[in-house]
Amino acid sequence: MSVRTIQIHGDVMARNDAYAERIRRRLSDAGVAAFNLISSPGSGKTTLLERTLERLDREIPIAVVTGDVQTENDARRLERHTARLVQAVVTDGGCHLDARQIHDAVGALDLSEIRLLFVENVGNLVCPATWDLGEAAKIVVLSVTEGEDKPLKYPTAFRRARMAIFNKIDLLPYLEYDLDAAVGYARQVNPEIETLFVSARTGEGMDGWYDFLRARVAGREAA
Amino acid sequence: MHEMSVAHEICRMVAERLGRDALADVVEVGVVVGDEAGIVADNLEFCLEALLSAPPFAGARPSIERCAGPALRLSYLEVEDGSPETAGAGAAA
Repeated sequence: MSVRTIQIHGDVMARNDAYAERIRRRLSDAGVAAFNLISSPGSGKTTLLERTLERLDREIPIAVVTGDVQTENDARRLERHTARLVQAVVTDGGCHLDARQIHDAVGALDLSEIRLLFVENVGNLVCPATWDLGEAAKIVVLSVTEGEDKPLKYPTAFRRARMAIFNKIDLLPYLEYDLDAAVGYARQVNPEIETLFVSARTGEGMDGWYDFLRARVAGREAA
Repeated sequence: MHEMSVAHEICRMVAERLGRDALADVVEVGVVVGDEAGIVADNLEFCLEALLSAPPFAGARPSIERCAGPALRLSYLEVEDGSPETAGAGAAA
């Protein structure tokens, strides 16, 4: 049996990326800065966002979309800190959020009311790294209770992130965590990556995070 | 971990490219997987084998080529000679 070859070269992510571009354009037109927070489970993304809402929500109106495999617990936690709806996407087993889910979630928001959007992705350092959600930047959160070599083990997440936030630094005195080594590994896979060192629990270092967000929002308004 | 959903998307692209009537003529589906694509190539191959063995496909085999970088592409289709040729653009813009 003779066969012939049909060349295709079709990007498998094209449909996701088309949704992502649509989201990016809508957010850009509305002057909303959007950040996609990715991390392994338990790094403190929700606590970081709780503190951020407490501190900034009156100054910079914020919307949040949370993604979890099961439960809307994160959204319920965050709702205590804002008058706005926190949208929960339950993936029901899915290991990441995709742009279509965020497109639907963003479609339910009044973008004229907000300046900042956070997507709290499913706790997973592998899959969320490769899905464009239309964000301005990915931010990877890692806690100092994890291994220093996380950036080497999950290079795609760190390579595609604009910033790495090292959380739970209040625990450093009790750990053997080598922070310099961890930062070195992050820069090894992404020399441009920005770093912040915070404890969302105690508030240490959080002013740097708030200043970063204020600058991004101001940049949007100036643009 | 999301290889099955990627495999479904690849099969959707194959179906879109050929049209449902011609699916029985596909014998090989070529896919390029980059090492930064966030995809376990062996797992994707397993998922494609499962999907391509069931209707409306007729046992086409997946062929996975690995490369460096973030690429994740449906590269080519091998079809039995005699199926209608529709030359031109790829499945995705």
